[in-house]
Amino acid sequence: MEAPPVTVMPVTGGTINMMEYLLQGSVLDQALESLLHRLRGLCDNMEPETFTDHELVYLLKGQQGNPFILRARRSLSHPKAPWHLRYLGQPEVGDKSRHALVRNCVDVAASHSLPDFLNEMGFRMDHEFVANGHIFRKGAMKIVVSKLSRILVPGNTENTERLSLSYLVELSVLAPAGQDTVSEDMRSFAEQLKPLVHLEKIDPSKQRH
Amino acid sequence: MYLEEKQLEASVESLISRVAHVKNALHSFIYKLENEYERLTWPSVLDNFALLSGQLNTINKLLKNEKTPSFRNQVIIPLLLSPDRDEDLAKLTEQRVPVFSHEIVPDYLRTKPDPEVEEQEKQLSAEAARIGPEVAQKQIQTLNKLCSNLLEKLNNPREDRDAESATMRQNKSSFNPADTNALVGAVAFGKGLSKCRPPGPVAPGHPGQGPMMSGGPTLQQVTIGGGSGQQAGMGGPVAPQQQGQPGKMPSSIKTNIKSASGSMHPYNR
Repeated sequence: MEAPPVTVMPVTGGTINMMEYLLQGSVLDQALESLLHRLRGLCDNMEPETFTDHELVYLLKGQQGNPFILRARRSLSHPKAPWHLRYLGQPEVGDKSRHALVRNCVDVAASHSLPDFLNEMGFRMDHEFVANGHIFRKGAMKIVVSKLSRILVPGNTENTERLSLSYLVELSVLAPAGQDTVSEDMRSFAEQLKPLVHLEKIDPSKQRH
Repeated sequence: MYLEEKQLEASVESLISRVAHVKNALHSFIYKLENEYERLTWPSVLDNFALLSGQLNTINKLLKNEKTPSFRNQVIIPLLLSPDRDEDLAKLTEQRVPVFSHEIVPDYLRTKPDPEVEEQEKQLSAEAARIGPEVAQKQIQTLNKLCSNLLEKLNNPREDRDAESATMRQNKSSFNPADTNALVGAVAFGKGLSKCRPPGPVAPGHPGQGPMMSGGPTLQQVTIGGGSGQQAGMGGPVAPQQQGQPGKMPSSIKTNIKSASGSMHPYNR
């Protein structure tokens, strides 16, 4: 009996390539209440969820120019919950008419030894911040309204200072690659939030300078 | 002659009926104003006024009608005045004129306006004659222009409303684009979150020109030497000597990094 044929190539990965579609905006503190009311009306009916997260951004510098970035996030309100590790790729430069920022996204959960593990791997923490705010859902869309705070003493998440007087508003969808209807839905939802907040595609590379 | 009499009679009849309509409309309007003023809305008041105005218009048209003989040529002379109550007259006028006496005659059979009113009219016509035809024409044109402007404004409310609401919205804008950029920069690549920043008051929207350079690699000294220099906590690898020196970037640090990473990494990508 001959052995059944085995594929020569190793089976690579079992996950679908997920893309994150993103629209960002901000809202001033005084308009936060009205924005939350509007979101509560527009989004799925659930208990309003608040969160407090501490995010650390790790860099791995190779010989080439661009470092490899990984984002590690843990919840300060649920300390026993696992860490969340995320990789975000470069934004896809597709047609300009696409309304949302699209980039490759890989999410995994990790144990509490994640920071040590990353350090041993050679990653170094570049910056960290604390984000707390509210999260809403509408179907596949996730809307996060968060207040970013800078950590003054590294590692001490109690001693924080607000980054600005505005809240960051992000509308994101995780979907497999190639679904362009997603950005249309996001755009129509963003229209409903005007004029309180203008959600738009902000290219991070344009922000560096 | 007979034709004129017939015409006079017919026009008087129609005039009486039209005036009766106006009287009824006024009557119901006054009743509404006196008794139902709590529930009265401005549109219904306007409706009443419009009704009266329409009826007066019909009366005017009737009077201008060529079939109507000129009433100015007719003269009414009271033949008998008596201070006694006249029942027929009272019934005819719905108890408003019970006696046809010398008190009511000057008011009801009046043909000329009051002396004061006559004086004013004379003054106005003298004034009009004085200013001359060109000035009068110019005044007429100005009036026409003002009226047409007003009509235009009233007929196009949507554009005006949009302009007003747009300016109102700008005054109480609920977001600051500069803040948006700052926050996005902070989340995307840590703009303003560099640990070298001494804690202090931060101007909103200006996250500070921290020592971040374009191109990605951070300016902080990164020791790849594994355990040395690490502080307690979330793996903060910042060498302590850079505290208090924001903005200064000695270039030697970068070369250290490069040489270290070449030798240290067993997991080459």
